[in-house]
Amino acid sequence: MLLSPLSDPRSGFSCLAYGQCGTALRRLLLLVLLALTASAFALSTAAAYGAAVQTAKKSGLLKEDSRDCMRCHWMETMAYRDRETGKIVNLSIDRDAYRHSVHHELACSDCHDRGYSHYPHRTSSADEALQCVECHEEREDDGAPNLVGLHHEYEKSVHVTEDVEDFSCFSCHNPHTFHPVNAGESIAQVVTETNGTCLDCHTELLTPVPKGHEWLPRPQAHWGAVRCLDCHTPLEGRILERPSHNVLAAEDSNQLCVECHSKGSALLSQLYNYRTEQARDEKGFFAQAIYNDAYIVGMTRNPWMDWIGLGVILLMILGVAAHGYARYRFHREQETSK
Amino acid sequence: MTALYLYPLWLRLWHWLNALIFVTLLVTGVSMHFTLNWLIPFDVAVPIHNTAGVLLTGSWLLFVIGNLWGGNGKHYLINLRTLPKDLIAQTRYYLHGIFVGAPHPFHVSAEHKLNALQTLSYVGVMYGLMPVLILSGWAFLFSTSLPETLFGIGTVWIIAIVHLVVAWMLALFLIVHSYIITTGETPTTNLKAMVTGWHKEQSSG
Repeated sequence: MLLSPLSDPRSGFSCLAYGQCGTALRRLLLLVLLALTASAFALSTAAAYGAAVQTAKKSGLLKEDSRDCMRCHWMETMAYRDRETGKIVNLSIDRDAYRHSVHHELACSDCHDRGYSHYPHRTSSADEALQCVECHEEREDDGAPNLVGLHHEYEKSVHVTEDVEDFSCFSCHNPHTFHPVNAGESIAQVVTETNGTCLDCHTELLTPVPKGHEWLPRPQAHWGAVRCLDCHTPLEGRILERPSHNVLAAEDSNQLCVECHSKGSALLSQLYNYRTEQARDEKGFFAQAIYNDAYIVGMTRNPWMDWIGLGVILLMILGVAAHGYARYRFHREQETSK
Repeated sequence: MTALYLYPLWLRLWHWLNALIFVTLLVTGVSMHFTLNWLIPFDVAVPIHNTAGVLLTGSWLLFVIGNLWGGNGKHYLINLRTLPKDLIAQTRYYLHGIFVGAPHPFHVSAEHKLNALQTLSYVGVMYGLMPVLILSGWAFLFSTSLPETLFGIGTVWIIAIVHLVVAWMLALFLIVHSYIITTGETPTTNLKAMVTGWHKEQSSG
């Protein structure tokens, strides 16, 4: 009886075992393997797509019209050299940083709404006048915080009064990456990040003893621990949640050590207002209580110790006074009995 | 009436100078610690405190030298054998006897001008607390040369706490000292003695 090798249910095994069935069956097996791999890949891609769709609801960069922009602007090398200034203008959008920024829900066209339909974009497109304050006012109903107060502070700042050329919100804040201080960030991180904004322009201060800061003991230690803004903004009217935008000139800035190095100081409390919880998490309640309100000059502003100290002193004064009064009474009694 | 010349001029000068320096340190220290700008502005208090601290060091050294070579040291020798008995007697007098006209358990003499309680507290203050206060003060002045941490804790913080606690204790001593000197034969007997040098008592000792 002649049987086709393929009709034999065991033939596959036998062929493979004995090498009788040639390349046809091997090809078939290869195909099956390929199909399996492809379907697995398709499934994982579908899952990724599903996740992407989920994120798309939140991330502005994944919105339909943003995709066209991001086709080019995601590239890290996306930049051009400005003909007038000769400087490299970075046009790349860091998607990860954008996702963590306060504006992450916005699509590109929510802000860049005119003149970008043509490619390459016309040079006039770059002249768009984006206004943080106005935009935030218009979108207040969508939850954009009102920036009018900040703007008033900013108008008094040295950056405006000294007519610094081309100074705007964007000189310090990159709207594609801007985010407020994260709850988990350490003081050192916050300080480094915030001071980095200042030092990006004020590069003349990147020296061991920065100009104008000669009076400050251990300037580098200070710079690692406090923000430039903590001394270079007015003491009055501070809001704990955000630094003032009224950046002061050097001569108007705070140079009094005690403004920081004392209990309840405005300078200290603004930066350290959320440190208490953080310290409690890290060090435990008791250690935090001991270290709390420490200042460097005395470094001992611990409320408990103060109350204990004052209490003991007061008790001693009362005890001594009572002792003295009792002596006086005895003396009077003796005098009268005589 | 008895009159004893207990306090030579150098000792009296030292005592009042030391008192002046100490009160200066206390006032400027309190002003700095509690940021009492109305009392003494911070930037004024700091250099005064630092200067007075250096002066106090000199004053303490004078005290030690005076005790070693000026013959004053003998008053600070604690007689361990009689100490418990003397301490109890002295404490009982301050807590009870003084109110009922009991005789003073200790009699001032050229050999023993300090009672047991005084000896113990003065030794504790001058040879115990004062050096710690002075050393921690100097450590503050040169805090940048110190290691960052000691036993895993910030060195400056340890020094600051030691300085503060000792300062509180010495402030306490000042209060008690100022009061105890009124417990002589009359409230001003001891104060006058530290001004004139002569310890005068109506009753014979």
